[in-house]
Amino acid sequence: MAEPKVVGFVCDWAVATEGLTDGDGRLSAHPSVRIVRVPCSGFMRPDWLEETLRAGADGAFVTGCPYGDCLNREGNYLMRDRVEQLARRLSRRRVEAGRLAMLAHGLHDRPAFLEDVATFLQRLAALPPAAPSRPARPAAPAGGPAPAASTRPAAPTGSVTPSEESP
Amino acid sequence: MYRRALSWLLRQTLKLDVTINRVYPTDWNPLYYTGGLTNFFLLVLVVSGILLFFYYVASLDGAYASVAYLTDAVPYGGLLRGIHRYAADAFIIAALLHLFRNWFTDRYLFSRDGPWISGMFLLILGGFIGVNGYQLVWDTRAQAITQIFVQMLRAIPLAGPPLAHLFLGGPGISDALLPRILFLHIGTASFLYLLLWWHYVRLRHPKIWPPATWVLTTLGLITLLAALPGTAPVAGVPAQPGVGVTSYPLDVFFLLPFWLTNWLPAGVVMGGLILLFLAGYVIPYLDRETEPAMGVRHAGVAQVIDGNCTGCELCYYDCPYDAIVMVPSPHPGVTKAAANRKLLAVVMDSRCVECGICVGACPFEALELPKFLEADLTRRIAQAVAAPASQTVTA
Ligand code: SF4
Ligand code: SF4
Repeated sequence: MAEPKVVGFVCDWAVATEGLTDGDGRLSAHPSVRIVRVPCSGFMRPDWLEETLRAGADGAFVTGCPYGDCLNREGNYLMRDRVEQLARRLSRRRVEAGRLAMLAHGLHDRPAFLEDVATFLQRLAALPPAAPSRPARPAAPAGGPAPAASTRPAAPTGSVTPSEESP
Repeated sequence: MYRRALSWLLRQTLKLDVTINRVYPTDWNPLYYTGGLTNFFLLVLVVSGILLFFYYVASLDGAYASVAYLTDAVPYGGLLRGIHRYAADAFIIAALLHLFRNWFTDRYLFSRDGPWISGMFLLILGGFIGVNGYQLVWDTRAQAITQIFVQMLRAIPLAGPPLAHLFLGGPGISDALLPRILFLHIGTASFLYLLLWWHYVRLRHPKIWPPATWVLTTLGLITLLAALPGTAPVAGVPAQPGVGVTSYPLDVFFLLPFWLTNWLPAGVVMGGLILLFLAGYVIPYLDRETEPAMGVRHAGVAQVIDGNCTGCELCYYDCPYDAIVMVPSPHPGVTKAAANRKLLAVVMDSRCVECGICVGACPFEALELPKFLEADLTRRIAQAVAAPASQTVTA
């Protein structure tokens, strides 16, 4: 079974992913995980995580520095709260909270980081394969017509243009 | 060289963290609280210092006797003195750890220079206060370091001799000296709190207090050191005017420069100290190019998109550097949510460290980092989501 597709947002100052990823940010150990570096874990707007899921990822995680050691003092704490809130919000819309994760690993914590990613992938794999309802937001209310088969390969890719924000 | 050394030090610092974090929960890692610990020790110093002050007599004849009386005759007087002494050592140790840790982990970058500069002042004055403390006792050691200190002062070109005169309250050591030192000791210590305000002014929720475990542990250690026979401060030999002092017990944390005068002329030591501190002030302004693994992203100072801001204050509460101020809105916003706003967020450039935390806080897309835009990120997300699926399936 293909591993769940995951996008990981990693703070510039947290775990170093050089050597762990290929040129496109794909984790060598888990090619289905793509790493996107961000200036601080606290930079992530929860909307973007939601968007990531909606665009077809099976999961998304954010990685900051160890708690108490955020370079920007509080970014990781704030992000942890935001991820929790978003997870709660999503679970009300029948998107499993387990699809989101907040990790905290310092620059040299690579082994622990990879372990956590592996755990996260297992957790995702245990979830129902395709996210239940992930309609593009403008389309329809929840429970839209997601194809019964796995949406993984093709469905969302075409529809995802960089930004179509409509709060 | 400098850069390589720093990257190496950074790596070692963080490796140490990984090790410590195996032992303690990360929230307790004592190295995350070096600043709070320093502040705590300062408080211990202030409290014990106030108590000591009640017994101290600031005169050449009375000083030594008053300290001896406190140590021997006052219940727990010796302990109090010991606490004051070891808290001072702890203060300097914690302050130095704080300095090196923040240096090695890049926490002086962007507009974090205010805390760095105020920190250097705090360190210099802290060291100065410590030396004063050893002078106040007025034993032979005090006498010796006073002599050396005056030599050091005199060695400064031009300003030196008048400074020495000012410090001594006359051409030589007289009864004017100890009241001056007492004032320098206490007055400068009070001034530290002003500097601390500068040190904290742009920090939201500064960590000024370490976890209770560390408060109690360090306090216990200090008390233990102050009470144990081997380490409790002992009375020195009373100072005798005109007698040259050749050896005295050394406190490495405060008196190291004085020790160096064994081999170097006082002027050279003074020059070295001044150079050292000047170098310290320059650190945040040294252009530092880091290795690619730590490539420092310059995302630019956060910008408020005026039309979108609703004045909800969320960014204001989340910015860890107090870099966002809410001002009365000069004109209504453009979007529907922003049309009736009362407030507008404004970023103070001089405080912003380009972290983007406010971007994550704003639910109305009213904040952006100019060199890492929302569009950049969403494009990356789209790529990330689009690509690997087919890759893993076909591979
Ligand atoms: S980027 Fe935003 S949160 Fe970070 S320091 Fe600047 S204003 Fe504050
Ligand atoms: S969070 Fe956004 S909308 Fe709210 S005050 Fe800050 S910039 Fe304005």
